[in-house]
Amino acid sequence: MNLVQRAINAGGKLVPIVIKEGLVKGTGLTNPAIFIDDDGDILVNLRHINYSLYHAEKNMKFPSPWGPLAYLHPEKDMNLRTYNYLCRLDKNLNMTDYCLIDTSALDVPPLWEFVGLEDGRLVKWEGKYYLAGVRRDTTENGQGRMELSEIEINKDKWTAKEISRLRIPAPGTDESYCEKNWYPILDKPYHFVKWTAPTEIVRTYPELPARCEQVSLTNTFDVPADQRGGTQLVRWNNYYLSVTHEVGLWNNYLNQKNGLYRHRLCVFDENYNLIGLSPEKFSFLDACVEFCSGAAVLDDNLLLTFGFSDNAAFVLKITNTLIEEMIQEAISYGNN
Amino acid sequence: MATIEELIELASSDMLNPEHNFKIAREYELIGQTAAAMSFYLRTAEYGYDTHPNLVYASLIRMSYCMDDQSNREHTLKNALFQAIQYLPKRPEAYFVLSRYYEKSQKWQQCYLFAELGLMHTSRIEPLPVDVEYYGEYCLEFEKGVSAWWLGRRDESKDIFEKLLKQDIPEQYKTAINENLKKL
Repeated sequence: MNLVQRAINAGGKLVPIVIKEGLVKGTGLTNPAIFIDDDGDILVNLRHINYSLYHAEKNMKFPSPWGPLAYLHPEKDMNLRTYNYLCRLDKNLNMTDYCLIDTSALDVPPLWEFVGLEDGRLVKWEGKYYLAGVRRDTTENGQGRMELSEIEINKDKWTAKEISRLRIPAPGTDESYCEKNWYPILDKPYHFVKWTAPTEIVRTYPELPARCEQVSLTNTFDVPADQRGGTQLVRWNNYYLSVTHEVGLWNNYLNQKNGLYRHRLCVFDENYNLIGLSPEKFSFLDACVEFCSGAAVLDDNLLLTFGFSDNAAFVLKITNTLIEEMIQEAISYGNN
Repeated sequence: MATIEELIELASSDMLNPEHNFKIAREYELIGQTAAAMSFYLRTAEYGYDTHPNLVYASLIRMSYCMDDQSNREHTLKNALFQAIQYLPKRPEAYFVLSRYYEKSQKWQQCYLFAELGLMHTSRIEPLPVDVEYYGEYCLEFEKGVSAWWLGRRDESKDIFEKLLKQDIPEQYKTAINENLKKL
């Protein structure tokens, strides 16, 4: 049973996140990251891409000219571009406002073909809004680093503007090729879970010089697969929760790539020790490519936002009762 | 009409069902979210391959329209139509959409070719579950007539257009034909 079905059966709901016709030329809206503001506003950073993901599932009877999984960028523009929209939802989770986040003050010509801040998780630390995501357009080899983009939001005019951009080095020697999907700890400013198991917490700083240091590295129980970052780490009673993803990537005999993404709920104690993990990996809507990139607590329920095949975005409300059940399942698994 | 939200909630227990995926695709397409529409049409095609031939065929054609809407994805657009033809070669619709695509691209030989191939398959077809902009044999005849002129077959072109004018065809086709005849 996929998670959406399970959530709906338990009294939850699913709402598509869409921007009306004409604004984005129909290409993908995906990987939304939800955040509940201090004033109760339900905010979402929605990733708009200039491509469409083509993914022939099942028996792959109808592959694209480039294989079963391909990024359909404009044929005259090799770049895979990301733009971010700041959106506001009402209590029924329907979009009421949206605007393109203006990054023009800080943009420079890209050096690589993945352009823009990808999968930016929305956080508010010390009164400032940030998007924490990965950028890969600053070097000629596509090196990925987490960046903190400070966003100035005008809620009256509903505008958003990037006013600072900080590229975070990897802790230690900063030699890795790609750092991505660190998940921000919402109630611990400038801290991220860099790796789930073993659990590595790192601290960054909002001012120059850009730096990052390891705060802790804690052994955990054995996990069945690498758990890669997904949502922010959110507080849930005496626990912290995050939904992480695990990915299988392979090539067919023609060397054409394919992939499968699945998720699990991670449960941490108050000291950020991983104490639980969903015993079974789950899908949201049974697509091969899904990505959950946002979590927030609203009225004792958990809201998860996820992308479907990189082409559609949703918010899923999961009731308190079901989340408690999932937490207990995860902890039972962790204890075994 | 059900909303996307309602359709997906309904489908969530059976997301591999091609009929569910098709309905969701259609709703996304109607609001201009063609990337999402393409994903669900493609799922319709993959999961309905053995059981829902007309849905599969229609989905592949609608995918080509989604690509066209996004513009500058010509290879994928054509690929979807080629796959539709490969899947159900005895239906005329995908031949027509390809022929018209080549007309717009001013690739007259291809336009003529696919119109001619389509005309071999115009009898006794079941209706499709969605509009793919093919309304009858005259659509293919029109493409053949246009491309024939550009291929140097003026008499053939004129003959096709004159025969078409004697048929009960939509006004927009009559207007286009009359404009073309003035230039012949």
